Amino acid sequence: MHPFLYERPTSVSAAIATAAEPGARHVQPTQANTQFIAGGTNLADYMKLGVAQPERLLDLNNLAEPALRQIRISDDTIRFGALVRMGEAADNKEVRRRCPLLAESLQLAASGQLRNMASLAGNVLQRTRCEYFREISWPCNKREPGSGCAAMEGVNRQHAVLGTSDACIATYHGDFAQALIALDAVVEVEGRRGSRRVPFAKLHRLPGDTPEIETDLAADEVIVAIAVPFDTWSRRSRYLKIRDRESYAFALASAAVALDMDGEMVRQARIALGGVATVPWRARAAEAALRDNVLDDKSAAAAAEAAFADASPRQHNAFKVPLGKRTLVRALLETRDMKV
Amino acid sequence: MNQAAPAPKENMGNPVPRIDGRLKVTGQAGYPADLAVANVAYGALATSTVAKGSISALHLDKARAVPGVIDIVSAGDMDQIDEPKFGNTAASSIGPLHDKTIFHDGQIIALVVAETFEAAEEAAMLIRADYAAETPSAGFDSKGVEMEPAAGKSPLFKEDVKAGDFDAAFQSAAVKIDQKYSTPTQHHNPIELFSTTAMWQGDQLTVHEPSQNVTGWKTELARQLKIDPANVRIVSPYIGGAFGSKGPMTARTAIVAVAARRVGRPVRCVVSRMQAFNTQTYRAETRHRIRIGANKDGHITAFAHEGWEVTSRPDAYVVGGTSATGRMYNYGSVLTHVSLVHADRNTPGYMRSPPETPYVYALENAMDEMAVALGMDPVEFRRINEPEKEPIGGKPFSSRSLIKCYDQAAEAFGWSKRDAAVGSMRDGDWLVGMGCATAIYPTASAPCAARVRLTDDGQVRVQCGSHEIGTGVRTVAGQMAAERLGVDIDKVTVEMGDSALPPAPVSGGSISTASVCSAVMKACDAVRQKLFAAAIAGDGPLAGSGNARLEMDQKTIVASGGKSARLSDVFKAMQVGAIEEYAEFAPKDSTPEALKKLYAGQPEFHGGDQDKDSVKYAFGAEFVEVRVNSYTREIRVPRVVGAFAAGRIMNTRTARSQLMGGMIWGIGQALHEATEIDRRDARYVNRDLQDYLVPVNADIKQVDVILVPEVDPDVNPAGVKGLGELGNVGTAAAVASAVYHATGKRIRDLPIRIDDLIG
Amino acid sequence: MSNSTIPNSLSRRTFMTGSVSAAAAMPLATTSTQAAPPEPAKAAAPRDLSTISMRINKQAYTFALDNRTSLLDALRDHAGLTGTKKGCDHGQCGACTVLVDGKRVLSCLSFAVMNQGRDITTVEGLAPVGGDLHPMQQAFVDHDAFQCGYCTPGQIMSAIGCVNEGHAGSDDEIREYMSGNLCRCAAYPNIVAAIIQARDEIRRA
Repeated sequence: MHPFLYERPTSVSAAIATAAEPGARHVQPTQANTQFIAGGTNLADYMKLGVAQPERLLDLNNLAEPALRQIRISDDTIRFGALVRMGEAADNKEVRRRCPLLAESLQLAASGQLRNMASLAGNVLQRTRCEYFREISWPCNKREPGSGCAAMEGVNRQHAVLGTSDACIATYHGDFAQALIALDAVVEVEGRRGSRRVPFAKLHRLPGDTPEIETDLAADEVIVAIAVPFDTWSRRSRYLKIRDRESYAFALASAAVALDMDGEMVRQARIALGGVATVPWRARAAEAALRDNVLDDKSAAAAAEAAFADASPRQHNAFKVPLGKRTLVRALLETRDMKV
Repeated sequence: MNQAAPAPKENMGNPVPRIDGRLKVTGQAGYPADLAVANVAYGALATSTVAKGSISALHLDKARAVPGVIDIVSAGDMDQIDEPKFGNTAASSIGPLHDKTIFHDGQIIALVVAETFEAAEEAAMLIRADYAAETPSAGFDSKGVEMEPAAGKSPLFKEDVKAGDFDAAFQSAAVKIDQKYSTPTQHHNPIELFSTTAMWQGDQLTVHEPSQNVTGWKTELARQLKIDPANVRIVSPYIGGAFGSKGPMTARTAIVAVAARRVGRPVRCVVSRMQAFNTQTYRAETRHRIRIGANKDGHITAFAHEGWEVTSRPDAYVVGGTSATGRMYNYGSVLTHVSLVHADRNTPGYMRSPPETPYVYALENAMDEMAVALGMDPVEFRRINEPEKEPIGGKPFSSRSLIKCYDQAAEAFGWSKRDAAVGSMRDGDWLVGMGCATAIYPTASAPCAARVRLTDDGQVRVQCGSHEIGTGVRTVAGQMAAERLGVDIDKVTVEMGDSALPPAPVSGGSISTASVCSAVMKACDAVRQKLFAAAIAGDGPLAGSGNARLEMDQKTIVASGGKSARLSDVFKAMQVGAIEEYAEFAPKDSTPEALKKLYAGQPEFHGGDQDKDSVKYAFGAEFVEVRVNSYTREIRVPRVVGAFAAGRIMNTRTARSQLMGGMIWGIGQALHEATEIDRRDARYVNRDLQDYLVPVNADIKQVDVILVPEVDPDVNPAGVKGLGELGNVGTAAAVASAVYHATGKRIRDLPIRIDDLIG
Repeated sequence: MSNSTIPNSLSRRTFMTGSVSAAAAMPLATTSTQAAPPEPAKAAAPRDLSTISMRINKQAYTFALDNRTSLLDALRDHAGLTGTKKGCDHGQCGACTVLVDGKRVLSCLSFAVMNQGRDITTVEGLAPVGGDLHPMQQAFVDHDAFQCGYCTPGQIMSAIGCVNEGHAGSDDEIREYMSGNLCRCAAYPNIVAAIIQARDEIRRA
């Protein structure tokens, strides 16, 4: 591992000031000399592998602002402090009662230990687990721009079929992010230039020609909170995750679904797909297909067709197209049948 | 009720808790990398990033500049020592630092030694090599592989077995199948990382390394280093899982020893999980073609099994499971052939039930297909093809309780409730399937030595250079001594895992319990004889009981007439404080050199299909229930029942655990495990536990083990058949059959995943 | 119990296992550390050692460590507590599980320097040497919940965390919440049985 300096800022402003070193604004956070660490479950792993090589780590666990560690629930919003741990949020009874999708997406991710460590902000910023990205001796456009993509013609069973580009097909593996994008969450960010609210759908960037640019954040910006609005669909919501083993595995396909129903009719559907796309993936075409329709096997299948209409499978991941569709159909029907 | 401690049936020992249990649950069991070593330096490996070619330049400057780096060992630095000799002890003939040739991806190109682990790791990652790279051949179907017949290429696989006229029988068979099956590359992935700690005191070398073969390693390491084996000691008191991976000694051991000698202090190298995929052995991928012909009534008349196995360029590693599959049923005629395919890969090695896991998988999946073709119940199909004698040499089985196993497992499983129609069983959104398969594993034993000491207070110490890899051999050796010497198990200490102890064979091939217990029994009996002789002597406490049968119980010698003498009084009469006996056990067909070979670390194996009088196998029957989601097609195994007969069961607790663990391994092999290889570069892609999936707790629900009583005095003096490898043979075929039953899809290539069932 | 501090001058080179073996049976730490712990001495250059203090199994330790040293390696190589195991070093197996401020975490993915002021419990801290085992340890012995024993310290620490977190309600819940601990010997059914026994005992106590 590359050696690094270690500091423990005690306020958000101090953390930002320290991170805002010359040139930081023009560097991707993942490439910056100074990087933030909270749970460390993703960053420490990538530092060991040589994928991340920060010169300095700013440990955010001693930031004094209490709100960073709080879950605040009001009538219309859940606001998660950035340093709330995944396990704590998953176990929060009020979160679970008012929006099962949020709790389930956390509970089905990682393991008990990792959920105790990982912060919510760190979780949504986790980097891909693409095998070719993780091992630094392979070419990888995301890790080393311009070096090529070994996954494209390689072992790409777990790779993405949606949101891919000629430069990168690495899957975004997170689960919580699928709930957040489906529910129109907003990310509260503070940086040297002030604070801003980023719609979750704008947080992650499609790989395009620049897969090394992963998020909308600058190197001197920190997420301080994630706010999720409650709405008519929050209670009738769930997360379905399909994987090779029963637990402790990334999704081959997953679906985050929230439904606002009027009897048999869908007033509004909120749908996101995990395990199949390069970024957290809102399936708006599927939502549109269901709107004002009776939700049954047929309309669910039509929505699933719409969701994967633009899929571009490779040699080993073609199964993700039918799997992703069936996962969505199953999730829709199971969500419809929830007793709320 | 404690399911972990089944009540013993006939010919079974008590479910004694493991004698090292307390050490293991308190963190005090010392695995090799835990052992405190003063002044230790840390080693880290740098490995190749190409699979074929040679190193044209090695750039070490950046690594050397890392503060704390002491030394770097690289190509050319091993010139003074001999290359590894492939065979029973060395994992491969590839000596990675002997020259600049690259034989496989991830080959060791340098070892960094530094003051700290962090400095060693940092420096190793800074080493860069320029390669004269060539296009590698990854395996089956790759350009440039070399194929050859396997028979005779390895001392473990002498011939392609055959019987009768297969071609004629197959041609005239009323019902037949002809199918191909495959199994992928798999890695053992014991949770303990591989490590070597080497330290020199003058010309004495001590190595701490997890090993299943301390005696074999001692001699092979001494040979490579060109030193006297008496000066080498291998220490491996506890082993964090092995499954075959710690049987062969890899090239790293000598490299770390050389480094320790160069830097003049102990060096510890703990290999990363990723690097272990390439620097340790693995289960090679296999392919199979199976043809079975039968009469309309289901009697098999023709069986052919062809196998193909991948190995490295220089080494002919072969498992050749046709020896077992060719003897499984009453076939009428048998034709087998095994081929090796040499590719640019590291040399494979033993992995739990090396021949049987892939070969019996293919056979049993085919048997189920044949039962379907015949419209016959798969249990009944096996029942009517049960042989009187093995079909190859016509020898009897020393014992064979397969049908008893099928009957008991079927009953417990509820096989009679299975609706044979494909896709007919359902539970809500889940398709239910049921399948079964046979487990078989050869019963072997090997020469073994042991030393047993009894003191007058009834304390017993057993010493044997075998290995506690989790099987419970330390406990059952202790039980054997406690039983023979009439003391409670808590009075027995058992020392293992050190080449300074009396030699034992490699802990592989399920031979340990039989071999170790036979040696311990012999040593205990020598102790008893000394005691008994003193007890009945003219001035002894049992004088006059010369014709009585003597037994030992609770620190007392009891004569059949009723007289008894306290142990302490017999010791007093003998005027000794301890009796210590050293015993050597050799299986009955042993050659005159058998014991000499044991001390040289190359023990002979006896049993299986090798003996003159009979063939010796343990058997089992496994039943599984699978569930396949009707929408999303994920496959789960909520229930497994296995019944096994394996001669004397020393300890029903450890036996059950091993068989249960074996069946769970089988589930992993059926559904999860596969090392993915990027065929363009012949490089492994999923070299970690994130992407190489093994079952987790949530994957395993109900696992029932039935121990079927069996008495077989012919196998060895202890009457014990091994069962560490029996459990995971057959499971994958049972799962494949159950998946077929649930879905109508016959999957022949492992692992079976969603990909195969969706679409 | 001694309040021993490992002197900084005692480097790993001279440190021998056993000098800080667990001194007494201690209930599990449940302290919640929300307030900022004292600031450790800052390293001026990346390779400088940082001075870090923490409590391990109720004893105070001060280390001088490379910032890169994981909590796992600090425990094993610097505190001589080798009961905590390295199985993958990447958060994929659970063998390195310890309790930090009462919560189970993976010590391989935590830099030691991030644990300033924390309260660490390892498997060595559960029972006094030679004394009664913790109910979870005893249950693992009773139910043969291990074979090779290598993943066992991590399983036991994780199991205690699982019970403390209230996720040991049913067999299925235990299976799910223990799935971060791989057991290659596959003692899973026995591990579940052991946790049920220990859970009931802990509840009764």
